[in-house]
Amino acid sequence: MVTRRDFIKCAGGAVAALGGVETALASTGPHLDPDRVGVLCDFTLCIGCRRCEFACAEEAGLPHGELRAYDDTGVFAATRRPDAESLTVINRYPALSADHKPLDVKVNCLHCEHPACVSACPVTALQKNALGPVTYDPWRCIGCRYCMVACPFQIPAYEYHDATAPRVMKCTLCQDRTLEQGRPPACVEICPQEALLYGSRASLLRVAKARIEAHPDRYVDHVYGETEAGGTSWLYLADRDFHQLDLPEVASTSPAEVTESIQHGIFKGFSGPLMLAALVGVILKSAGACEKCEAEAAARNEAGKEADHE
Amino acid sequence: MPRYLAIILGLTLLAAPAAASDQAVKEAHPHDRLHGHSEVPGAKGQCADCHLCAEPTAEDPCMVSCARHGGQFRGVHEVAEGPGVVVIDQLAARYEPVVFAHELHASMAAMSGGCTNCHHYSEDSGAIPTCRQCHAADRSEVDLSMPALKGAYHRQCMNCHLDWSGDNSCDFCHREAAEPGAPVAHDATDIVGIPHPVIEAVATYTYETSHADAPVVTFHHSDHVDVFGQQCVDCHRGDSCKSCHHGDQKPAEHARLDHVTSCCACHGERDCNFCHGREPMPRFDHALSTGFDLAPYHAGRACQDCHGDPRAFRYPSGDCAECHIHWEDGGFDHGITGLVLSADHEENDCSDCHVDLDFARRPSCDDCHDDYRFPAESPHCEICLNLMNEGDGRAAAPSCGHEVRRPVNPGRP
Ligand code: SF4
Ligand code: SF4
Repeated sequence: MVTRRDFIKCAGGAVAALGGVETALASTGPHLDPDRVGVLCDFTLCIGCRRCEFACAEEAGLPHGELRAYDDTGVFAATRRPDAESLTVINRYPALSADHKPLDVKVNCLHCEHPACVSACPVTALQKNALGPVTYDPWRCIGCRYCMVACPFQIPAYEYHDATAPRVMKCTLCQDRTLEQGRPPACVEICPQEALLYGSRASLLRVAKARIEAHPDRYVDHVYGETEAGGTSWLYLADRDFHQLDLPEVASTSPAEVTESIQHGIFKGFSGPLMLAALVGVILKSAGACEKCEAEAAARNEAGKEADHE
Repeated sequence: MPRYLAIILGLTLLAAPAAASDQAVKEAHPHDRLHGHSEVPGAKGQCADCHLCAEPTAEDPCMVSCARHGGQFRGVHEVAEGPGVVVIDQLAARYEPVVFAHELHASMAAMSGGCTNCHHYSEDSGAIPTCRQCHAADRSEVDLSMPALKGAYHRQCMNCHLDWSGDNSCDFCHREAAEPGAPVAHDATDIVGIPHPVIEAVATYTYETSHADAPVVTFHHSDHVDVFGQQCVDCHRGDSCKSCHHGDQKPAEHARLDHVTSCCACHGERDCNFCHGREPMPRFDHALSTGFDLAPYHAGRACQDCHGDPRAFRYPSGDCAECHIHWEDGGFDHGITGLVLSADHEENDCSDCHVDLDFARRPSCDDCHDDYRFPAESPHCEICLNLMNEGDGRAAAPSCGHEVRRPVNPGRP
């Protein structure tokens, strides 16, 4: 009989034999361009004018009101999340003290360096472009919504209202503008405060750290997104701990990296399925053996009965 | 030798001297200076971006003038020197140009740090560069660490506007453009066209302190402004707009401010009694405080005429000649002292009567006139002298030839 312990030993051995766990862990993750872009969002500069919300809706062809309708600060009464019709939202958090101003926080897809949504998508409708954006192709999407479960920031939304061709909705970093036209995303372009800075992720990190160094009283010493979830293309600066701003404390390894290393480990060289087949074979074989015993016993019974008659 | 090897060798030999001289240039250049300059607006990555001459040397680098290297703002400018309004139209696409009330803002800034609130750099000459001299309108042209023009403008405005009004709506400053590019008209009587209204300050503040013996501190605000000639910014350095403006409310009175420079910044050397007392103190009186009555001849003087720069306060010795040394013959109208010199005396030298030019000591007629008639036997002289000494303005009818009249305040020289 094969115990659970034996099974794990065998499976591990087989995987190791077929290339090793180390290689399996290291080989995950997309190829990333060293000049890949990102956006630095400095919450302390944001004034909550919501122009970025307007520009985003306009660019994405989503329903939106007049520009001046976005002057309404009444929306700050509740904490909002991006949804299928607003891919980015601004939330307002109270000022730390009378000398501070309230902090306005922009929420949208962070374009992870190693995105869990991409990893979870079975049809590569979501992809991490080497230049930074996590792009979406609605023609490939089968609507399984695994991405929505996988995202550590709970960003992707779904067009539940559309019965015919619903899409997964999330910021794509204006993939047409950024990747094809070389222009900054619409939100960055409209931001009057230049609270949003578009550029290479590496230089944005330098700028962010220089700001913290120059104004230690203005910022917490933390660039959110530098390491969160394995790093993100969006980087945030704030005047307080980020968990107070409903930004989750996520591990510095990408969830995708963890799950992929297990999955890739198991499936490397098709060893997992082979092991499974072998296991099923063993089970079937032992089951078959018992059936044979039963058949023999039955035969013996039959023979005994016949002898009694005679 | 295969042909490609020969080519590589040849190229290496050719490239070597070029690389070496390049290296020499780089090493000679102070690298730290180059840091952060690669992306300044308009830079093409060439020497001429920063150097005016073809062959800059360490002694004469012939640098172009750069406000940032002029250092922090150093100019001294009066509010009225600046423009009344500034029309900001470089970014007018969605909106009409913004009419910025420069004078209004400059007069408010005078209470919270002055011009440097917005003009953070000045040129070596003290001249103020325009925003766009450093902040390019096109974001792609600038160093990521520096805001482009749009960000620079908005951050300047919104940092304060949000502070006092909490209002971030665009139409506070912007009007949506009916027709992009149309010339902007502004009403000169509108708030943007006028300076900040004069701030009515309370004349005297009294503070109760926990000081047991002398709990009352009296601060005569009006003395500091009207008598001592202090400018708002001398004390109100760190005031934010919020100190006076609370949202839409107009400040009812000149609010008590917490951020002012403390009394000790100027009066640190004084003992406690200078400020603390049992009762509110009277306004400053030069005669009471110093024993030197300014009336009548010195009443119109500014403090610094005698005491110099308030930050380096000078105590005059009391010797009048310290100041009064520069009258030329006939250049002084003795009448302003209350005594018009008769024709007999007009030709005298000052020191003929004011021995050793000691003007503090009042000369008496009998210093010179020792004949019997004077002054004892001349009631007229006595009348005159008494009038003169009392500073009384009544006209006398002297028969001695002297005219006595009301002393007049000496004007500024
Ligand atoms: S934030 Fe979520 S949706 Fe955006 S890339 Fe990361 S995992 Fe994907
Ligand atoms: S446009 Fe800029 S300043 Fe306005 S809400 Fe968006 S990020 Fe903040």
